[in-house]
Amino acid sequence: METVFGIAVDGVAYGMILFIISVGLSVTLGLMRVVNLAHGAFAMAAGYVASYAAQTMGLPYGLALVAAVLLTVVATLPLEKLLYRRIYGSANELRQVLLTIGLTFVIVAGINYLFGPTLKRIPLPEMLTGTLDLGPKSIPTHRAFVIGMGAATILALWWLLERTSFGIRLRAAVDDPAMAAALGIRTERLYMATFALGTGLAAMGGVLGAELLPLEPYYAIRYIVLFLAVVAVGGAGSIFGSAAAALTLGVVDTAGKYLIPNFGEFFFYAALILILFRWPHGFFQGRAA
Amino acid sequence: MIDAPLLQVDGLSKNFGGLQVSSNISMDLRKGDRCALIGPNGAGKTTFVNLVTGVIPPTAGTIRIEGHDVTRQSAEARVRRGLIRSFQVARLFRSMTVREHLELAVLERTGRTFRLFANVRRIPGLADEVAELLEGMGLTAVAETAVGTLAYGQQRLLEIALALAMKPKVLILDEPAAGVPHSESHRILDALDRLPDDLAVLMIEHDMDLVFRFAKRIIVLAQGQLLCSGTAAEITADPRVREVYLGSRAHAH
Amino acid sequence: MTAVESDKMTTNTSTLPHSRPALPRIVTDAMPVVVMAVGGLAAFWLFPNDLGLLTRILAAALFVMSLDMVLGYCGIATLGHAAMFGTGAYAAGIVAVNWVSDPLALLAVGGVAGGLIALATGALILHARGLTLLMLTIAVAQIVQEVANKARDWTGGSDGLSGIDPAPVLGLFRFDLYGRTSYLFALAVLIVGFLVARRIVRSPCGLACRGVREEPLRIAALGGSPRRYLVSMYAVAGVFAGIAGALTAITSGIVGLDSVGFSWSAEAMIMLVLGGTGRLYGAVIGTVAFMAIHHILASTDPFHWMLFIGLFLMGIVLFLPGGIASLSARVLPLVKGGR
Ligand SMILES: Nc1ncnc2c1ncn2[C@@H]1O[C@H](COP(=O)(O)OP(=O)(O)OP(=O)(O)O)[C@@H](O)[C@H]1O
Ligand SMILES: [Mg+2]
Repeated sequence: METVFGIAVDGVAYGMILFIISVGLSVTLGLMRVVNLAHGAFAMAAGYVASYAAQTMGLPYGLALVAAVLLTVVATLPLEKLLYRRIYGSANELRQVLLTIGLTFVIVAGINYLFGPTLKRIPLPEMLTGTLDLGPKSIPTHRAFVIGMGAATILALWWLLERTSFGIRLRAAVDDPAMAAALGIRTERLYMATFALGTGLAAMGGVLGAELLPLEPYYAIRYIVLFLAVVAVGGAGSIFGSAAAALTLGVVDTAGKYLIPNFGEFFFYAALILILFRWPHGFFQGRAA
Repeated sequence: MIDAPLLQVDGLSKNFGGLQVSSNISMDLRKGDRCALIGPNGAGKTTFVNLVTGVIPPTAGTIRIEGHDVTRQSAEARVRRGLIRSFQVARLFRSMTVREHLELAVLERTGRTFRLFANVRRIPGLADEVAELLEGMGLTAVAETAVGTLAYGQQRLLEIALALAMKPKVLILDEPAAGVPHSESHRILDALDRLPDDLAVLMIEHDMDLVFRFAKRIIVLAQGQLLCSGTAAEITADPRVREVYLGSRAHAH
Repeated sequence: MTAVESDKMTTNTSTLPHSRPALPRIVTDAMPVVVMAVGGLAAFWLFPNDLGLLTRILAAALFVMSLDMVLGYCGIATLGHAAMFGTGAYAAGIVAVNWVSDPLALLAVGGVAGGLIALATGALILHARGLTLLMLTIAVAQIVQEVANKARDWTGGSDGLSGIDPAPVLGLFRFDLYGRTSYLFALAVLIVGFLVARRIVRSPCGLACRGVREEPLRIAALGGSPRRYLVSMYAVAGVFAGIAGALTAITSGIVGLDSVGFSWSAEAMIMLVLGGTGRLYGAVIGTVAFMAIHHILASTDPFHWMLFIGLFLMGIVLFLPGGIASLSARVLPLVKGGR
């Protein structure tokens, strides 16, 4: 019983991190039809920035998080204009894969040059290190925090997409790009804003998840498969799909590692194949919310 | 049944969500038929072709080829029964040459595409048949040209050549002259005139000159329904056809 | 489609191979083989101390060539091609350790194993497209790797499978300590592999696969089944990848888990695109370039290598979409005074 509870908590926390990072990838894939393999590199870069801000400069955790997200978004926006804009559209799949792999390599090399190859930590503030009592059970505060942030992200994204004019335009453009352009939606600015949203989410996930997905230069390559798996299972462009997929895969992966440590990976990928076989377009294909 | 029509369509219907794009269409084609299907833009002509050829499944109705019910069969199976179509929007292999297109079509028809170690250029009889097809459509000069660089009219001719390479029994041409400059459309007409006599042809076309020259029988489709059918004279005299067309004549083409 | 659009198409010709080279076909056909043989032998004399590396390059070239059959000719974007390579390598290695040690027989074992795994998994996953397919190929390779990792008794798990000691080639040429036989054997296999692969991509089936890549709906309209072509070519490419794996196992004597790894699949894709897809010999060019530069740069610092290859990849995608092999087609007209 204890293990089941432990798996549930860890699995959900892990799933929430996967969700926060992957949903950005999902939205950019859904709208701009770009398979962005550098997405994990953005998350990693933000983690490093936060680690530097917190450890070397001594900023508080919250401030380091905000600084890392902002810096990552500002630093990647020129990339949207210079690189990504040339490869939008599903006809460019192979070029997207290669260009973004190339970008990933460059970021990995750059991170290693700036911060060295060793593992980096983002020290947690006092209030996130203890345990939280929930009646008979108690869970690590950090896990509870991550789960809370994940839930808040789902709500905030839901609100953003359903209730704001940005969201309406975004959904229109995902459903029918030609029609959206005909209605006078300025796709160029919309793309840029969506890209910023995607990298911002990646950055946030990279910082929040540093305890679960440890920061080292190969992070960008090691975890991108995981993020892509979430997007493929969730269906490109779908928030609730991404959440469902991230939580499912997070729990499956965690359960595999707890219960059958020798075959953890095996079950994760077997689940992936089965799901994609049953739902080749993901759980919630083509719906922006 | 010896005299079953080559193609027989009964009560064919299709809904996209709530939108009924084809409703209860019945028609048939016999040996040697030269039939045209006309109707304003969005009438559901291409959808009808897609239903008949098996690209999309119908909501209701049956399709028979020479008496065999093929409603549940795949597009490929229908092709093997001799039901061949050309595409309204050219669907060609853009980086492949004209010759390669025709080679592929002939190889498909004769079931030789799974040979892994055969050299395409040395397969007996292939080169001759391809040469004949090229000649027939006046494409010999561009045989080695990549199709993506061909003029549009020549792409349309290749469409027809590809269909003929399949030795069809029933040929459905979806707007064979669409996008072809008027100066070139005589080539298409010439090509159509030289189609084998016992072939049943259904042509979809907006160009009425072409329709009247080619078709012995005309079927009019409007809003997914079969409005009427008859000879050119009967159709032009029919007030319902005028009604359907007057509103949209300007756009039609 | 309007006439205006079609005009746009006719002007956009630079990426289409419409201008045939002026050389007779027999010359252009023989050229890659001659270059490979002469270049291969020259390298044999010039770098006698690097034969181990050179042999690995040759086997990798065969692997990348098999990826070209899948990616370049069928348009299947895969990041799991190492599944076939690794299966072939392990199959050949296990058979060599336990039963047979004739190198040609081992190549056959590797080819059969690679072909079977490709056939089985291809039939399972090739209905998918785009990102889904990409994920499925990754997942298949990861599962194969996991199985190899867990079947320690057979594969040696993370320690790798060692003790592969092949018998002399054709009973005549012993595998020597300096890797001379290994190298020449690999060169011969690569050249024969190239000739067979070229035969296959020029066969009716190869033609049909190119058609599927460009317009699957038209293939169906011609009465063919796009998926059957894809699965067939995927299986055939699996045979080649399996042979490449077996070749690596035979010539290096060991098989490790990295031979089924994600990065090996990704690297193969990079090598192929560097060289240029859809040409077969582009795979060879790309592999030689990639692995030679890798050898030089990675020996100092792997991150220098990553920086270089990253920038290089981005440059290729942005400025040279046809890969290195397309350079000649682009540069030649300039040299000839422009046309
Ligand atoms: N996959 C689909 N989903 C929803 N609606 C569709 C679909 N395909 C076609 N339609 C609709 O069905 C109607 C008929 O389309 P269709 O292409 O068959 O017309 P058409 O007669 O061939 O027109 P045209 O003369 O322009 O070629 C149109 O209103 C079209 O928008
Ligand atoms: Mg139409």
